[in-house]
Amino acid sequence: MRLPGTRFQEHGWEQVRKLLGQCSLTALTTGLLDDYVEAMSASLQRTGSRFDTPANSYGDTVRDLALTLLFELQARPRDWDAFIATLPADAGEALFRKKCNDMYATLRDKVDSDNYQAACGRPCSPNRIYAYRMLDTAYHEIARLCADWRGHAAQVGAILGRDIDAAPIEARQLQSIAGCRPEWILRWSAACAGPLDTRSKRFDALKDNPAKIGAMLQEIAEYEAISSNRDADWRLDSGAATDWLDDYWRVLAAPEESAPGPDRILEAHQEAIDLAWEAPAAALVEDDLAIDVGASVSLPPGFIQMARLAEDPGSWAARMMQEDGLPVRLAVYAKLTGPDDEVYPDAWRDPATGALPTMQQLALLAGVSLPTLRKRRDAAIARLTTAARP
Amino acid sequence: MKPDDVLERRLRAAILLARVDQDRLVLSDAVLGAAIAGRTPLSAGERAALAASPLTIRRFRQLVLDGVTAWRSSAGMLRAADSGAALTELVTDDGHWTLHFLAGQVILQLHAQAPFARQLLVEQPLLRVIDGAGAVVMLGRLDSDGECESAWPFAVAPAQHFQQAGAVFAVEALPA
Repeated sequence: MRLPGTRFQEHGWEQVRKLLGQCSLTALTTGLLDDYVEAMSASLQRTGSRFDTPANSYGDTVRDLALTLLFELQARPRDWDAFIATLPADAGEALFRKKCNDMYATLRDKVDSDNYQAACGRPCSPNRIYAYRMLDTAYHEIARLCADWRGHAAQVGAILGRDIDAAPIEARQLQSIAGCRPEWILRWSAACAGPLDTRSKRFDALKDNPAKIGAMLQEIAEYEAISSNRDADWRLDSGAATDWLDDYWRVLAAPEESAPGPDRILEAHQEAIDLAWEAPAAALVEDDLAIDVGASVSLPPGFIQMARLAEDPGSWAARMMQEDGLPVRLAVYAKLTGPDDEVYPDAWRDPATGALPTMQQLALLAGVSLPTLRKRRDAAIARLTTAARP
Repeated sequence: MKPDDVLERRLRAAILLARVDQDRLVLSDAVLGAAIAGRTPLSAGERAALAASPLTIRRFRQLVLDGVTAWRSSAGMLRAADSGAALTELVTDDGHWTLHFLAGQVILQLHAQAPFARQLLVEQPLLRVIDGAGAVVMLGRLDSDGECESAWPFAVAPAQHFQQAGAVFAVEALPA
């Protein structure tokens, strides 16, 4: 299924989910999100080339999507806390994978509902994304049954609401989700105790609402039609185009005369389907384990001097983080723009990996412990954020 | 642009777009679009709401990238040599607008496929069509079908009029 802005809703999700679960088995060691993200990032980059296959129609690979979701997890510590809080200390591999899976499944719908809103300007919730996907899955199931109507005459009859004795014309006309009628979804679910007929309240908003179902089916169909021949388009997070920043700064600069009338700020817009479900809140886990920095720094001699020469001391970032030292500044870049942006000077990169040094390497360069480096990095980011958001 | 500048801009963009919990769209496309196009500035409260909502800033970026708000004007020209036949329509060079001439009326039509179509239908800005001499051919707002109609204002017929006025024309949005 494709919807505006979404990245994690197509065929490759199964692979992404499995890759994240597999790498998490060894990456989760301390319960600290920072430890986990760093270990996962290294682990995902080490996996074999079979994860370089496209996982959606924009051409993002399984590995790209896994790394993107890991990056998103960094920004949502509450999701991480909830995961850790519900993970039994003695969880076996199967339970661990299930919990991990649940966390990422929730996260992908959160990220994609944000992406959807940014792409088309309409409000959306994670539960609504889940509902779109349920309807898409139901359509495919109905299409499968209709395509083999002889083998499933009773079920097809129940879906179409009449006895089937010859090839049903609806089955031949069902070329895409656009041809799927909401009543069929309702009858299909009723006949097989499907998603609209369980005790879960998740889809209550759709149960007696064929018009709403119909509108959602049409939306999926329309977007699939217009996006079917679209080129790879990763501009959402490529960061390559930053021209919009100039527009943003211009708009935020106070105008000479302000607009008359009250502020035109939108009300929170939530329909029943957006409210139906919320991830359980969890207690914050404070787990300040001492970290054993065992890995040796294999950076070339003189790295820090060369890296400093490659820095522009007059830049905004260097000025804002003047007191922090180069290792902290590199840690900030790694967290905000990723470990391997093509704009980084070569002197900032570890020749062994081609990326910025790892957090452990930077901690040793700075002569501080890893937790201290993280604290300084996060403090610097907080300062930048305050400066950038007036 | 120097690599350092690119690096700095990326860093600043990443900071502005870093997600926060419980975020939602706080400004409509119409409000954002009018601000981006410089038609209606944001109030102080609206600016604060935008700055505090990375999701709305993402939407802002998307609108800029789509270019939907950037439309200010489209120009076109009288192409065919005068064949003596009455002029029935003129299309702008970008293909997004058609002027239809019939029975003493002129109808401006916005094509639904224009990238800025949705935005203009929401915003309904005042539109003006001018000829090559700067005279106003029509002034009005689009209806919900994306059309605007008025009487042909000149004494001579459209083909002859445009030929006398430089054989060009333009559709433009007037500032609010």
